[in-house]
Amino acid sequence: MKIIRSTGPEIFDIELEKDLLAKNRGLAKENRRRFDRSNILTIDVMGSIGSGKTSLIKAILKRLGMGEKVAVIAGDLTTTIDAERIEAEGARVIQVNTGKECHLDAHLIRRAIDRMKLNGVKILFIENVGNLICPGEFPLGAHKRLVVTSVTEGPYTIVKHPYIFREADVIVLNKIDLTKPMKVNTAQLERDAQQINPHVPFIKTNAAKGIGIPEVIDALGLKT
Amino acid sequence: MHEFSISSEIVRNVLDTAKTNDGKKVVSVQLEIGELALLNVEQVTFWIHELFKGSVAEGAKVKVKTVKARIQCESCGYKGGMNLDRQDSFRHVILYSCPKCSSFQIKVEKGRECTLRRIQVVR
Repeated sequence: MKIIRSTGPEIFDIELEKDLLAKNRGLAKENRRRFDRSNILTIDVMGSIGSGKTSLIKAILKRLGMGEKVAVIAGDLTTTIDAERIEAEGARVIQVNTGKECHLDAHLIRRAIDRMKLNGVKILFIENVGNLICPGEFPLGAHKRLVVTSVTEGPYTIVKHPYIFREADVIVLNKIDLTKPMKVNTAQLERDAQQINPHVPFIKTNAAKGIGIPEVIDALGLKT
Repeated sequence: MHEFSISSEIVRNVLDTAKTNDGKKVVSVQLEIGELALLNVEQVTFWIHELFKGSVAEGAKVKVKTVKARIQCESCGYKGGMNLDRQDSFRHVILYSCPKCSSFQIKVEKGRECTLRRIQVVR
């Protein structure tokens, strides 16, 4: 709705009501409706750079053994490294390169699902760009949001990024095999997570070895 | 970091609106940004000015009005604003917790928007 009125001989005021973040939220809702219609459980995997998002997805795929019934949208700035790693597990993969952008948004996801063959797909993972700030502001329409952090990021990652951890449905602490050399107190990290988001599962994993993966599958409701 | 994409979206909307209203020049743009939106106002205005260059909006004034937050606490029932004046290292944490009981279980009613409210054009 626009109202145009003159305020002088030449200058016109144009009133708008455009919430630019609301546009993404609207598109996210549309995506969600599409996932619901096709009966696809969708999981947005967020986390910092190098926390092990791809390794975790690979470990989950291996454990599920569902082949092409699982699809993955791999978000990355410019490379296809993650997509190739995931493809090795037999899932359908589409790479979304964001170029300069630090997050995926609902529009990019809509374009990706337009191009993907989703018939027969039961589960869709969306691997977000490695970042603990921006993806929190841009919902994609996924049913669940998984946030991955790791002990190698040090003792303050959770308390410094409360927003994204508050949005999480499941929190994963990866690379627990490195707890000792990193001298990180994992109990403190768990307390930080519980203070910010008390009702969600906090799961310790070593994705490379498959430790904690059944618990993650359980927490995401992926039992097949 | 996503200030750039939001700014690009704002600029696209401003230029589209100017065009459909026969604006020869954009004089000013007014935005409303919630104090809980994860946006740095200085970066947003910087990018808008940069992206306006070479268009009918080059040199336009960019005014940003801050929208006060309004939250509802699910733990203690507090309803109202946030105390965002703290400048210490925990300021960021305060953004997400109840000012009365410090619970993180809050519902944000207002303060997360980024709205393009008004533009002024010369015809």
